[in-house]
Amino acid sequence: MAELTISKRQIHWQNGLKHLLLILLCVFAIFPIYWMVISSFKGQTEIFNNSLLPSSFSADNYAYALEQVDILGMTVNTFFMAISQAVLQLATAIMAAYALTRWKFPGSRVIYTLFALTWLVPIQATMIPNYTTLVNMGFRDSIVGVIIPNMASAFAILSLYPAFKSFPKALIEAGMMDKMSAPGVLFKLILPNIKSSVVSLGILLFINSWNEYFWPAMIVSDQGQATLQIGLRSFMSAELTSWGPLMAAAVLASLPILILYLLLQKQVIQSFVKWGIK
Amino acid sequence: MSEIALSALPDLSGVAVRQQSAAKRILKRLTPFLFVAPALILVLFWVYRPLVQTFGLSIQMWNMNPNVEPVNVGLQNFQYIFTHPDFFQAVWNTFLYILLMLPFSVILPMAIAIATNRLSSRAKNIYRAIFFLPMIMPPVACSAVWRWLMHPINGLFNHLLTSMGVVEEGVRFLSDENWVLLSIVLIAGWKMIGFSTLMFSAGLTGIDPSYYEAASVDGHKKWRQTLTITLPLLSPTIMLMLMMSVLMTAQWTFAYIDVLTQGGPAGASTNVYYLLWTYGFKNFNSGLSSAAAVVFFIGFGILALIFTRINRKVAFYDN
Amino acid sequence: MKKRKLVALLAAAAMFVTMGTGCMTTKATDSAGSGDGDGKTEITFYTYNLSIASQKEAAQKLIDDFNAQSDTVHVTGVAADVMTMQTKIQSDYAAGQTFDVVQCALNQVGYYVDNYKLPAFEDVAGQAAFDEHMEGFAENAKTLGQYRDGKTYVLPYTFSTPMLYYNADLFRDAGLDPDAPIETWDDVKECGLALKAAGHEGVQITATGDGYDWLIQAMIYSNGGDVMNEDHTEVTFTDPNTVGAISMWQDLVKSGAHTNYTDTEAQEAFLAGNQGMLVTTAALESGLISAAESGGWELKAAPFPSFEGKESVPTNSGSGLCIMSSDPEKQAAAWEFIKYVTSAEGYTTITSMMGYLPLRPDIVNDERYLKSWAEEHPFVHTNLAQLERLHRWEGFPGMNGGQIGTLLNQTVTKCIFTDCDVASEMQTAQSQAQDLMP
Repeated sequence: MAELTISKRQIHWQNGLKHLLLILLCVFAIFPIYWMVISSFKGQTEIFNNSLLPSSFSADNYAYALEQVDILGMTVNTFFMAISQAVLQLATAIMAAYALTRWKFPGSRVIYTLFALTWLVPIQATMIPNYTTLVNMGFRDSIVGVIIPNMASAFAILSLYPAFKSFPKALIEAGMMDKMSAPGVLFKLILPNIKSSVVSLGILLFINSWNEYFWPAMIVSDQGQATLQIGLRSFMSAELTSWGPLMAAAVLASLPILILYLLLQKQVIQSFVKWGIK
Repeated sequence: MSEIALSALPDLSGVAVRQQSAAKRILKRLTPFLFVAPALILVLFWVYRPLVQTFGLSIQMWNMNPNVEPVNVGLQNFQYIFTHPDFFQAVWNTFLYILLMLPFSVILPMAIAIATNRLSSRAKNIYRAIFFLPMIMPPVACSAVWRWLMHPINGLFNHLLTSMGVVEEGVRFLSDENWVLLSIVLIAGWKMIGFSTLMFSAGLTGIDPSYYEAASVDGHKKWRQTLTITLPLLSPTIMLMLMMSVLMTAQWTFAYIDVLTQGGPAGASTNVYYLLWTYGFKNFNSGLSSAAAVVFFIGFGILALIFTRINRKVAFYDN
Repeated sequence: MKKRKLVALLAAAAMFVTMGTGCMTTKATDSAGSGDGDGKTEITFYTYNLSIASQKEAAQKLIDDFNAQSDTVHVTGVAADVMTMQTKIQSDYAAGQTFDVVQCALNQVGYYVDNYKLPAFEDVAGQAAFDEHMEGFAENAKTLGQYRDGKTYVLPYTFSTPMLYYNADLFRDAGLDPDAPIETWDDVKECGLALKAAGHEGVQITATGDGYDWLIQAMIYSNGGDVMNEDHTEVTFTDPNTVGAISMWQDLVKSGAHTNYTDTEAQEAFLAGNQGMLVTTAALESGLISAAESGGWELKAAPFPSFEGKESVPTNSGSGLCIMSSDPEKQAAAWEFIKYVTSAEGYTTITSMMGYLPLRPDIVNDERYLKSWAEEHPFVHTNLAQLERLHRWEGFPGMNGGQIGTLLNQTVTKCIFTDCDVASEMQTAQSQAQDLMP
């Protein structure tokens, strides 16, 4: 990109400041996580002191955490829950956003508003009636019961909406001239071009679901169905928190998602690069 | 924009209409509804049906026990809410939460997204990945770590502050009523930055680089480009994030309030949803809880309507 | 051709869900029929101890030990999340799907009996068998699960009383004698101020968090105050002794002898060896002991302090067990299980592994059970002695009972941590609470 009017020195100075600020923010973002990780390796004698590095790395906390809760099983449950939720939310959102942006049909405004207004209904108010409904439907104590009420996400719809809306109408028209069906336009024309938005949204939905606590805790009580957040919570009780094991379990609970993010991040970037069809 | 495409629609169907049977025509009419139906039905069933129930419960007194018949009490629950200070404290706190949260959910992330946007893709990705890290950490564990860092005597922050001589006694970040709200915002905000940055970055990638090229040729300076091109093109994202912040801050802070302070000390850190939760899940007073939910629904609803109004005027779609 | 992809997508989504449902259903039948076909009566036990990492092993051991020795009953433990437990029980009850044995907080006996159809233990077991089982049970604990009609609907299970724990090393550092008895709140204040003067933290009574109104009640009763009148129709927050107890507490904080942290912060400070004294539930004891060991400081304990010239009145935190099944066969099975976990053997596990009080006090002198354990944990005797003076942890009656408890908790928190006028705050709380009484 050509910065014709800006002198080189100015750019250096500006860039330096910019990086300094960004690095400071990075420290802010990363420090608590660093603290979590090193604390997970501290022995019990050290756990309460403020040293930035443990004097020796101890795996005791990990051993204890793994012994107390079934982290592997919980990871599998959480993965099943999060992936189902993310995929279903994406599917329903893609269809809804497509319909809302492509056609003007009676009630479309009302429907859009209905989606947007779900943000105003807090989960604290819907939890109890929905739980009762699920129990009556026979989904008590199952991960599926956790997923069912969360198959549609207003956030997903509303954040896909602009992406769909800014998709060039001329291309859709061209597609229709080629006798493409409505799903054809969606799958062959639009989706490949907004892949990056969809993937990043998918990641967000996945993470969101991964970290959910209250609703799974309400539905699931069978330990074989418990999710990671429920497992983590078990290290914190009103009476006493087991710090070291909690930190170790937290590290273990975030590892899968971290790896997944790093892997997908690459994919997202690639689709970012491919962007720019217009 | 969309009007153009839509006006093209009837024409096309008009051409095709002669070959189409009535059934096909109906199917065509129904197409949009078929697409929107799954999401709509789910939302109606799992969000609006309980909401309607909540409206019903708000005029009853009930301890949520199935053996106990709810008693109709008219507007008594609303009267209770509006005559007790906890409600106003929660509303005022929520307002403060929203205000203090904006730097973390809109301002900083937007600045970060714009600042990193034109870095080399390597640097950009490293920065964004780092900012995103807090987002993936489990909230329960984050609360624990922050409580630790903020501890009045054992905590690292106070350790640094006292050793640098900034304060004499440790700041009670989570038990001093003047600090607690700010501390919760810091934690929730720390968690939010990555998410918002990602949203803004996604918004930025949607902007056609040719705009910048044209502007550069026109000799615009960088910050003016930001002001005249980036911000308007980013306006849908800005509006989305603004609206999310206003409507969701009470939800974003909820988990931290619950784990760290339970709304205390003396209600200094409670918010509207935490109040609702206290009524419903701790006191088992479904009437008060529902009445509060109704009030908050209407209150936030008005805010949301104002937003959509503004949104329609302000948001600019690149098309 | 047209909508094939969309249809495929929808079908896939539908399949996904059905698949999951399938799993679920199989699972449900599995667990229903998992009695190994040997005709044992299957019952479920809903307990929060299973959801706490440090107590899980013991809770599971109780269940496993019972299952191993019973030929007729098989128990499946279900972990309860403390936050949503009560809500879940209510919703399940509405759907007619309750757990068979449920662990409930001891201040909720009235609530449970009023709202759910609980069988009395005397009826399930038969009076004679029940009396036989209750022999050797602490006298004061026996009545905690009784309802107005004098029958026992909740059997006290895991509980403890408040104690004063202190860090002997910090005491020595502050020039105090850690072996001198700390009996009254005046003693506590004195020690707190000395600790403070030496640059340490004083005392904290961890009674401001959720569910801690039992400790607030202990403060009030110890000063001769009360939270309700005898027939539970009026709250008595303005009782001079009630106000007096809170004022004393406020004065402790104002003087600087009492820290103004959150409960958890105070606990952490104590665990880290920075806080001199902690008044808290004895259920914490094992955690405190191990923190002291690894931190290299000496932990000591004293009974719950008293007000000058009065005897301290500890309350009980904790839980009991009730039978929620309406099926006589399951009720009988539940009784078998409850009998086991509240036996000498059961309390040996509960006390030695979870730290709650052995409600059969004699077993601390019995070789077969807790004698050797008690020799290593001398504090248990102090704690048991407090059972003699125990006052029931009261729950407020009626639909708004929970609301009143929260109100009391918030008012007291406000009183002790701010400069407000205790009498007028309690007056406000009194009138608000009275409106909420049935």
